[in-house]
Amino acid sequence: MIQNRLKEKFSNEILSIDEGSDILTITVNKDCIREFILFLKDELGFGFLTDLCGVHYPDKELQLGVVYHLHDLTNNQRIRIKTFTSLEQPEIASVHDIFSSANWMERETYDFYGVIFTGHPKLIRILNVEYLDYFPMRKEYPLEDSTRTDKDDRFFGR
Amino acid sequence: MEPLEREHILIRPEDFDKNFSTLNLGPTHPATHGIFQNILTMHGETIIDAEQTIGYIHRAFEKIAERRPFYQITTLTDRLNYCSSPINNIGWHLTVEKLLGVKTSKRIDYMRIVIMELARITDHLICNSVIGVDSGALTGFIYLFQEREKVYEIYEEICGARLTTNLGRIGGFERDFTPDVIRKIKDFLENLPKVLRQFENLLLRNRIFMDRTIDVGGISAERALNYGFTGPNLRAAGVDYDVRVMNPYSSYDDFDFTIPIGTNGDTYDRFCVRQEEMWQSIKLVKNALENLPEGNFHEDVPEFYLPPKEEVYSKMESLIWHFKIVMGEMEVPVGEVYHSVEGGNGELGFYLVSDGGRTPFRLHFRRPGFIYYQAYPEMIKGSVLSDAILTMSSMNVIAGELDA
Repeated sequence: MIQNRLKEKFSNEILSIDEGSDILTITVNKDCIREFILFLKDELGFGFLTDLCGVHYPDKELQLGVVYHLHDLTNNQRIRIKTFTSLEQPEIASVHDIFSSANWMERETYDFYGVIFTGHPKLIRILNVEYLDYFPMRKEYPLEDSTRTDKDDRFFGR
Repeated sequence: MEPLEREHILIRPEDFDKNFSTLNLGPTHPATHGIFQNILTMHGETIIDAEQTIGYIHRAFEKIAERRPFYQITTLTDRLNYCSSPINNIGWHLTVEKLLGVKTSKRIDYMRIVIMELARITDHLICNSVIGVDSGALTGFIYLFQEREKVYEIYEEICGARLTTNLGRIGGFERDFTPDVIRKIKDFLENLPKVLRQFENLLLRNRIFMDRTIDVGGISAERALNYGFTGPNLRAAGVDYDVRVMNPYSSYDDFDFTIPIGTNGDTYDRFCVRQEEMWQSIKLVKNALENLPEGNFHEDVPEFYLPPKEEVYSKMESLIWHFKIVMGEMEVPVGEVYHSVEGGNGELGFYLVSDGGRTPFRLHFRRPGFIYYQAYPEMIKGSVLSDAILTMSSMNVIAGELDA
């Protein structure tokens, strides 16, 4: 069992395990994310990084989340790893040298959420213009002009 | 000495006397088939290094999606890989259905397979004919585009649109296949093999074409996996990963089809894998159409499936549902789902976080093109410029998918 192997190795680092979701979801402490993913890749066979993206939860204490989807292609098993960091110190270790595909996905996450991936060779904006001075996918930036009064949020989404 | 220009142009002071030259391939270059830039460092005609700049058509779909109800997000997915938009549409519908726990009937599944495989054919038709164009054979392109036009007419018959289709609804389709649709699909299936065979005669064993593509832009299976390759590009490198077989959705497991794989992962293998996939898709469409069960063309999901207009005006219940959907008063389960479909270019994934609100809390598109395009510099280093163009077209980099 993956859960048991992981619990054995990272007993202090795993914050929660959710088996009820569509994919086994594990939330870990951000300080061990590199070792955690390396362990998954080398020992448990999760050799494919499907996806890496950020999420912003403005109501949580640690607001910025990074979600990794890994795939074990031999046994056809997926796993979702989540880790959270604060807005003040949004630093998470980069995994670009474990998975080359993480390079741009981390840049994209930095671009939209401002998560700083330490050890990344070139952490610059990728889709937005270079001189943008904020991180647009954070929830404090509404999609439409917030001074407009003709649109009531109750009727037009968030 | 200061670096010549911005750092990412990659001419360091120590390289000044090495006779390197910088070439801007793009952003608007006829050979890149899309708006993205490659800054190449060249030594003579050999590429030393490359640096990509993307984002020219970034449209902030993920942000827009956070303000749109589920059924309005379909139009955003059209514009990801616009060469096979129905796959994106249906992939999104399947994601929402997974969140809602809606199980669709076999008829809907088979109808979806017909559409998705037609879309895969158009995607591969474009990619392969463009490889021909970039290697100097324009004729095949014109032959194949005529066939693509026929698929677009089928889309038109089903949903009214051609390129950005907005095809299907959450829970099924907006209307049933008309006899005209069936007739057009059958006509298409009858004609396509002839044209494909002609196209293959033109290129597949053509000495010039083979010399131009074999051992050009190759990548090993291990590197391809590490770079997150999926779809035909990964299969050309010899890994038989296909979402349709690995995690079957929409009843793909009812059908018998093979996954073609290559060995070298070079341009020729990518071409051959796509070519063979079209033959498999033809088989799939035929099988799905023959075994199409009777039944309704949409599931009973009144919270998400807009009722027909005539019922809205005549029936109380339909009016209420219509109002609820449009005003966003339906219940959405709280949760997270990741669903992926085999898009034209590979695993197209949707990571949807719902907090029970009217719109997604977070929606992330896993765009295969965005992920594998990173490997481009590694694949073209040491090759000549004309090979780099061929490598790019054989990877099928679609700007819409790249930039989301």
